[in-house]
Amino acid sequence: MVHAVLQQAVAGFYTDLVTRPTGRAVRENIERDLPAGTIAVMDFTGVGCLDYSCADEIVAKLVRDKVKVLLLRGLTDAHREAIEPVLAGAGLAVLCERADGVLEGLGASEPAPALLDELIERRLAARIPGGSIRLTAA
Amino acid sequence: MTRLIEVPTQFDDRSFDQFAAAYAQAADGGDERLLFDAHAAEWASPYGLVGLLAAGEAATRKGERPLLTAPANPDVVSYWARAGFFREAADLFEVHGKVPKAKVATESEVLLPVTPVRAAEDVHAVVSTIQQRASAILSSELGLDPKATMGFAMALSESCQNIVEHAGTGGWVAVQAYNWRRKLARRVVVIAVADAGVGFRHSLEPTQAKRFGERWGDAAALEAALIQGVSRFRDPGRGQGLAGIRRYLARWEGKVAIRSGTARIAIVPRWDDDVPLKEGLPAFPGSQVLLIIPEQVSEKAGGSSKQ
Repeated sequence: MVHAVLQQAVAGFYTDLVTRPTGRAVRENIERDLPAGTIAVMDFTGVGCLDYSCADEIVAKLVRDKVKVLLLRGLTDAHREAIEPVLAGAGLAVLCERADGVLEGLGASEPAPALLDELIERRLAARIPGGSIRLTAA
Repeated sequence: MTRLIEVPTQFDDRSFDQFAAAYAQAADGGDERLLFDAHAAEWASPYGLVGLLAAGEAATRKGERPLLTAPANPDVVSYWARAGFFREAADLFEVHGKVPKAKVATESEVLLPVTPVRAAEDVHAVVSTIQQRASAILSSELGLDPKATMGFAMALSESCQNIVEHAGTGGWVAVQAYNWRRKLARRVVVIAVADAGVGFRHSLEPTQAKRFGERWGDAAALEAALIQGVSRFRDPGRGQGLAGIRRYLARWEGKVAIRSGTARIAIVPRWDDDVPLKEGLPAFPGSQVLLIIPEQVSEKAGGSSKQ
């Protein structure tokens, strides 16, 4: 999903989420159809390089200003390395869905449990035997 | 009348202050045309090449287009051409000497030829190119985890963005791999970024000068940016770039050094003997950034091997 927006937002044919202007364009495209206080899912599949500036411009600003819970999927280790310090430094957190389906917090440790609770409360996620949390089929 | 600026025979970050001193003295000479004399140059690092372009741009802004004498040594001038230097220099200098029409960046050592950075689009192109060219070299020759090549692209992106966001003008970037006999007897990858823009002190002055009081100057501005992660923007998420570069380099035992105005700051790894902060250097326009990532070795009895 992010990859598709990126292709619309920058003039060339890039797969990398780098620079603040690119991040701003991508975020503004996402925000256009996103009601405030919502629970949003962003899929990073197909995104190549993500730098810190873009991670801040897209992920941190969406969490800070727009969404209640942001769930990221399709993240590579390199994407995590860009997003984690940006969120942690701002005291923010998102949820990410690992390849095995387990949800975990990314960013500051304090806000993450409340995000998981929010999904469980809304029956969008459930705790499975063993204690880990996954999205529900619904 | 022209004023002569000698380009050091071995032109890199170590000899840059000698070049900056010659530039500062010549640039003080009023409206006289400047002549950058590189005829005796024997070697130039990417830092030297992009720094020379920055000096050329600053000189062009001040007055008449400066002159540049190309290196006399055919091997040296050929390398400068392959590294993309003359492609950019043609717009800034009146070049004298025999310059070959070499194809740019045909060898594997030149991971990114001297490339102009003026806008976000240029940063995209740089990141895209480096990922295509550098991944194999970073992992096979430098022993970096293949996953670290993405971090390398991130560090490169953030270095270039400093120009776009803060310099107020364009600049240049170059990336090269080479054997670094002087310090390490290891392969290194060097990223060099230079501009002739406003520099860190001017960029940060409106938001930081008051905080530093009498200490405010080029050194304090570099310290604020690199060590404290402050930005000229009040936006809470700003200042991520240099902090990210520091994290990446700490992980791979790399070095970062930034020169701006009359000061130079460095995060010095244990393999280097550079000083963390130098003040009172000869004034030079804009900012010059140097990143060095060394080949990764594990220390074992009787020698070393790649990790």
